[in-house]
Amino acid sequence: MGKIDTNIKDALDNVRAAAQGLHGAISDAAAKRGGATKADLEAFAQKARAVAESAKGSLNAQNEAAKKHLADAVTHLEATQKHAVEAAKSSGQAFQTSIKKTLADARASVQKISEAVAAKRSAVSNKTK
Amino acid sequence: MRNYIAVVFNDTGKAYEGLHALWQLDDHMEVTVHGAAVVHRDSLGQFQVDTKETHPALATAVGVGIGALLGALAGPAGAAVGAAKGAGIGAATGGVAGLAADAGRADTREQAALEAGFVLGDGQSAVIADVSEDWTSPINTRMKSLGGVVYRRAKSDLEGDSWYDSYLYPYDYYLYPYEYVPPAYPVL
Repeated sequence: MGKIDTNIKDALDNVRAAAQGLHGAISDAAAKRGGATKADLEAFAQKARAVAESAKGSLNAQNEAAKKHLADAVTHLEATQKHAVEAAKSSGQAFQTSIKKTLADARASVQKISEAVAAKRSAVSNKTK
Repeated sequence: MRNYIAVVFNDTGKAYEGLHALWQLDDHMEVTVHGAAVVHRDSLGQFQVDTKETHPALATAVGVGIGALLGALAGPAGAAVGAAKGAGIGAATGGVAGLAADAGRADTREQAALEAGFVLGDGQSAVIADVSEDWTSPINTRMKSLGGVVYRRAKSDLEGDSWYDSYLYPYDYYLYPYEYVPPAYPVL
């Protein structure tokens, strides 16, 4: 079986970990009594932007399948940033809607990055078979 | 290959060990876990999924989504067995109702049992996950060592179910995309 060397974790794995952390933080903030604060949301927007930039930076190192998933992830991360900024400026029902969208796009971004990771791992393991 | 898996354990603590082991396999790059959650079925047959404390609307969505995924893992006829006691998670009626239509194709309960994939018995717990795996042996071997029984359905197979609707039930998104262990199960 073509087990992969565990020492070859790379930028894509780090992008995935960062996106997972972002989703966890948004999820936790959404659960807080009184909801996420403006400071929380501004931090999420900044983090989403940083993760998107990291993802863009590792695009060229990926195979075609992983590249497509990663490009989709960037789209979701940019949407996460946009919704977080909107949430920070809104209140009431609009705030709740923006929070849900922020969380949904953060989740979607992790999914796409995870699919990119799977595509990359599969390509590497096929080479070692 | 992209698969949904259910790993059934007789003990809740073991299910969390299984969840941890699954994410370890991901960390060792032997599989890629896209999302996972732990589901319990109590002695009265009621389902419960461990989730973070969250907005009630989101919790309901998780209940609906996980409920539908459980039915999907059971397979069209197997869902009749799994859902025979009217089980559901929160507002998981959508999945159960959709499955009931397919279950009507099974002439008998025995036939349903033959076709069944995953069935969660009373008092059991299961790790439900969305994974990419090039080989089934890493998960099978690790889970067997923990006392778990692994069931699989290929994502492509599930998409062939008559009631499948990825818009209504985006299963992927209801699972935690990282290892989430509730405070009640701190020891791993």
